Amino acid sequence: MRPFGRYVARYLGRFALFLITLLAANAFAFVLVFSSILSEDYGPDSPANMLERVAEGYSEGGIPDATSKALEENDIWAMHVGEDGESDWIAFLPEEVPRSFSLSDVAAFSKGYIGDYPVFVRPIDDGLLVLGYPKTSYAKITGNYLPMRAVEALPAFLVIAGLIDLAALAVAYCLSRRKLSTSIEPIASSIEGLASNRPVEASLPKGLEGIEESLNKAADMLSRQDEARATWIRDVSHDIRTPLSMIMGYAQRISCQADVNETVRQEAAVIQSQSAKIRDLVQDLNLVSQLEYDSKPIAAEYVRPAELVRTYSAELLNSGVDPMYRIGIDVQPSSERVAVEGDRRMLIRAIDNLVQNSIRHNPDGCSITVELKQEQGASVISVTDNGVGISAEKVRVLEQEPESADDSIVQSELHHGMGLLLVRRIAEAHGGKFEIDANEPTGTIASISIPNGKGSTNCQINPNVT
Amino acid sequence: MDNSFLHAKKIMVVDDEPEIARMLAAILSDEGFTHVVTASTMTEGLRVAAAERPDLAILDVMLPDGDGFELLRQLRMLSDVPAVFLTARDDPSGRLSGLGLGADDYIAKPFLPQELLLRIYAILRRCYKEDAPLLMLDDCLVDFGRAEVIRGDESIPLTAMEHTLLETLSRNVGRIVTTDVLCEALWGDNPYGYANSLNAHVRRVREKIEANPSKPTSLLTVKGLGYRLVTRR
Repeated sequence: MRPFGRYVARYLGRFALFLITLLAANAFAFVLVFSSILSEDYGPDSPANMLERVAEGYSEGGIPDATSKALEENDIWAMHVGEDGESDWIAFLPEEVPRSFSLSDVAAFSKGYIGDYPVFVRPIDDGLLVLGYPKTSYAKITGNYLPMRAVEALPAFLVIAGLIDLAALAVAYCLSRRKLSTSIEPIASSIEGLASNRPVEASLPKGLEGIEESLNKAADMLSRQDEARATWIRDVSHDIRTPLSMIMGYAQRISCQADVNETVRQEAAVIQSQSAKIRDLVQDLNLVSQLEYDSKPIAAEYVRPAELVRTYSAELLNSGVDPMYRIGIDVQPSSERVAVEGDRRMLIRAIDNLVQNSIRHNPDGCSITVELKQEQGASVISVTDNGVGISAEKVRVLEQEPESADDSIVQSELHHGMGLLLVRRIAEAHGGKFEIDANEPTGTIASISIPNGKGSTNCQINPNVT
Repeated sequence: MDNSFLHAKKIMVVDDEPEIARMLAAILSDEGFTHVVTASTMTEGLRVAAAERPDLAILDVMLPDGDGFELLRQLRMLSDVPAVFLTARDDPSGRLSGLGLGADDYIAKPFLPQELLLRIYAILRRCYKEDAPLLMLDDCLVDFGRAEVIRGDESIPLTAMEHTLLETLSRNVGRIVTTDVLCEALWGDNPYGYANSLNAHVRRVREKIEANPSKPTSLLTVKGLGYRLVTRR
């Protein structure tokens, strides 16, 4: 589920980027809004500049007209307070502002206000120049001091706080990422389960109950659809059996009757063999449906492949194989004591489909060998013929998933019965695999390998009893 | 193999499809069976069985007023009649495939009549072996009733094992019987590992039935599979 980790990382990365952009935008807006105010503060009307200008222009009893005009325009009043605390020059001074000050008054207003006017002071030659700005123009900080220790500690504090903040952010990032992943991954695996036809029972973390419900609903619906399809196929294949029994029965009866015209007998034999094909097709269809949609497709019983191969081969030979097909059996002695866990009927079906495949592709006859051997803890049943063989293209197609294989070729394979595709499904349902390849010098070698069951050891060698 | 001694056996077919019952009756009478009775429901089957006392019952699993299993259970209260089930399922459930109810065989529809006849003969031979005439081999006759081989004037007794072996093969005359089936017939459920013992028994049987045991003409080996018994032509 790594892709989700990456997805979440990307998602959170974008979120961080967004945060940074937001902060930058704030800073930009701040600059935009405050630059005019600040530039004004540092412009010609700012207290510092105005004090400078007035102080420069001030001489005994007055200031130049231009300066006076600037004061008036900005609604600023001014006065000069002498050493004795009396104001000896004033300009535009409001009524409520006193004209004389004690030492403590001076100490108080030099840092703050007179009345409610923010005042700015500058000592000049023989006194104090005082400028009073309009009441709401400036806020003054009256207690502007910091302990030295605090000032000294500030840089270190900023660095450490910054680092802690970064660490906290990193932790928050990791936690969110993990939490998101753990929330998303069950959803993802449920969806994967849906896609691959596994039973799904989603159980998602709190807050995702809605999704959990939908997923379980979807899974339920899919499995009900599968069930309906499987039931439908089962019912149809069930219902077709009785009429097919009658077709096959009467066809064989006609084909065996001595007093019937030879042509009619031959035609009855064709009806019989074609009905047998329909029977096989219906059985294959039913098996494929069982393997696709059944949650427990195979009956688990211990099967001895050696016995299975012999039983099948004997049945094949007893049923009367055309003599142009020579059937050989080769069971390796080491396979005698082995058992696999599986469904006997299906395994026999798989071997039969391989043999029938060889027969179908070699209408002029060939040798067919059914072989059983042991390879890496698996029983390998192979059907080898020395017939016309199989094209590399066909091998490629048969090795692919039917869904991804070229449709026309799969269709043609289906057209011939589901033969080899069913063999592969059966092998896979037993945890094994199906392989088909060209045989040397000619022909085909097709094999299924089924892992040996744990019960293999149950097949003890019995003492020789006579 | 001459099965005609079985043709006098009475066979009952119970199937809810009258067409199937009629077809089976036709096939059986073609084959030479002279007594075939049919029924289409469980009730009718029971009535027919009580009146006719069949020697073999062919029962459909699904019947309109019950199922074949129940019918067999009730039939078995009357007699030990052997039974074959016909089923339209090819995935027989445990009780069918295990033949736990004492059914002797089951056949999945659709079936070839030939296949059905083979199974019927195999069951009848097994259940009515005392009726069997002598088995005629190239060089001798086998009397299963008395468990002996008759060669000219001489009669050679068969051991129990040899008897079972020959009888298993004779039920499938002309057909290959795998070593697995033979071992199971001789030694029961877990027949693995008896291959050498089987060889020994086959050798001894050949000494009794073959003119030249090293060149057998009746009890033939099918390499890699098993054995085949061939009767006199």
